[in-house]
Amino acid sequence: MKLSADTYRIQQDFSRFIRTGRQVPVPGVKPAAMAHYRRLVYNVVCDALETGYPIAFANLPRKKWERMVYKFFSTHACTAYQVWKLPLDFYTCAVENSWDEQYDIPYLYDLLSFEWAEMELYNMEDQAPPAYVPGGDWLSDPIAFNQEYRLLHFKYPVHREVGRRRLLNQVGAYFVLVYRMPDSGDIHFTELSPWLAFVTEQLLAGITLTDILAYAPQLNMVVNNKLQEDTIAFLQHLREKQMVMGFIKQ
Amino acid sequence: MVGIGFRRDFAAELLNGDQIRPDFIEFAPENWMNIGGYWKKQLHKAVEKYPVLCHGLSLSIGSPEPLDLDFLRYVKSFLNEYRVQLYSEHLSYSKCDNAHMYDLLPIPFRKDAVAHIAERIMQVQDFLQRPLVMEIVSYYTPVAAEMSEVDFIREIVKASGCQLLLDVNNIYVNAFNHGYNAREFISQLPLDKVAYIHMAGHEQVAPDLIIDTHGQPIIDPVFELFEWTVQRLHPVPVLLERDYNIPQMGELNGELQRLKNICQQHWHKHYETVG
Ligand SMILES: [Fe+2]
Repeated sequence: MKLSADTYRIQQDFSRFIRTGRQVPVPGVKPAAMAHYRRLVYNVVCDALETGYPIAFANLPRKKWERMVYKFFSTHACTAYQVWKLPLDFYTCAVENSWDEQYDIPYLYDLLSFEWAEMELYNMEDQAPPAYVPGGDWLSDPIAFNQEYRLLHFKYPVHREVGRRRLLNQVGAYFVLVYRMPDSGDIHFTELSPWLAFVTEQLLAGITLTDILAYAPQLNMVVNNKLQEDTIAFLQHLREKQMVMGFIKQ
Repeated sequence: MVGIGFRRDFAAELLNGDQIRPDFIEFAPENWMNIGGYWKKQLHKAVEKYPVLCHGLSLSIGSPEPLDLDFLRYVKSFLNEYRVQLYSEHLSYSKCDNAHMYDLLPIPFRKDAVAHIAERIMQVQDFLQRPLVMEIVSYYTPVAAEMSEVDFIREIVKASGCQLLLDVNNIYVNAFNHGYNAREFISQLPLDKVAYIHMAGHEQVAPDLIIDTHGQPIIDPVFELFEWTVQRLHPVPVLLERDYNIPQMGELNGELQRLKNICQQHWHKHYETVG
């Protein structure tokens, strides 16, 4: 490398200051101007995280949020070269450092993954659905899904509660399907029962509803007409929401 | 050609084209590559309506660590896909120890940095199979400088063969912040290498410090410096940058028109012979 060790170290010192806000003597630098760099950079980081995690930002105790953001930017090497992906770096950093325990926010990962899924889906590249036809049989045909979705599993109902006590009182198993509307690009989500989450997962894997229903007794499900009708009604609802596109004909 | 930065805040107005009608648009590949959904549709409409120049943010040519080739691969395919006519970047760094910092940090004006950066510019030009147009950035403090800023730039241009993006507002800001004469500085640049001009507004935050915010209208002294500069250059595209504090479209269009008038007044001979 053509860069001298000295210049390299100066750039590292300057960067360390930008990331931590802790003044380091760098030759020839005006400290007051340096503080502006720190302010400008940190504003970008705070803005990106507040935009990416509006629920977390508005509802977590402000002191904890600020400590997390500071810790994040000063210790985590941000890999995102696109600012909109910075929230993913934050989420990764939280998990790597067990911030749910450290900051005593048991529902932290559920909340971050919910909000990140929304951001990611809104921006992510278009995913073509498999080839499909509009008409078919809900029971015997494989179903063609919109591929722009995330099926999330939470321990806390972060998709409908924000208060700490209410969240902690409702520990359970929650399934949420988040997806992007093909026409508008808007993000919608819907809560699924454990059964419908299982059905969705299996259908997405190409299994037919008939085969899923045949397996249902092993999940202690009572298979009757009502279950079948309710499941098909759910799929029809997903079709109205453009999450189900049609049927795959072999 | 006088263009404007394509921002989501006024994308609808640009696509509509009633109140504002630039000759071209510019955007950062980082803000648009690998995206889909609503904004990809808008991007396609914009690219159909206007010629496109790109201005990158994350290349970090002045970083100590190796270039990010994965990133460059994406940039290359993006530039090709959207038939981008010109790709510019910044003479600064925004990444160190493999951590992105999302701003344009000042590089130490030193001989070893010149050699390092020139080598990297050539590497990028080879990789992208197109010339790089490097912007002289605004900066708020020198860092461990061992040579003058203008020598630093001249030597990089000479050693790498890159072109220059002359942001006239940046030169104004730097001249103010570091106490030099803007016209003298511009005169010393290799002006035949200037391929692109930026114009923008700024904000004075202290008696001795201006920050390059892109959030205000262009001030008259910067227009004057622009007019003076234009007379020393061959015609190149000129861009109005407005990233924050977006005003009514009429106001932005007024700034575009004022830039256009100046270009036409001084470059009309070129326009007549060329067009
Ligand atoms: Fe610029």
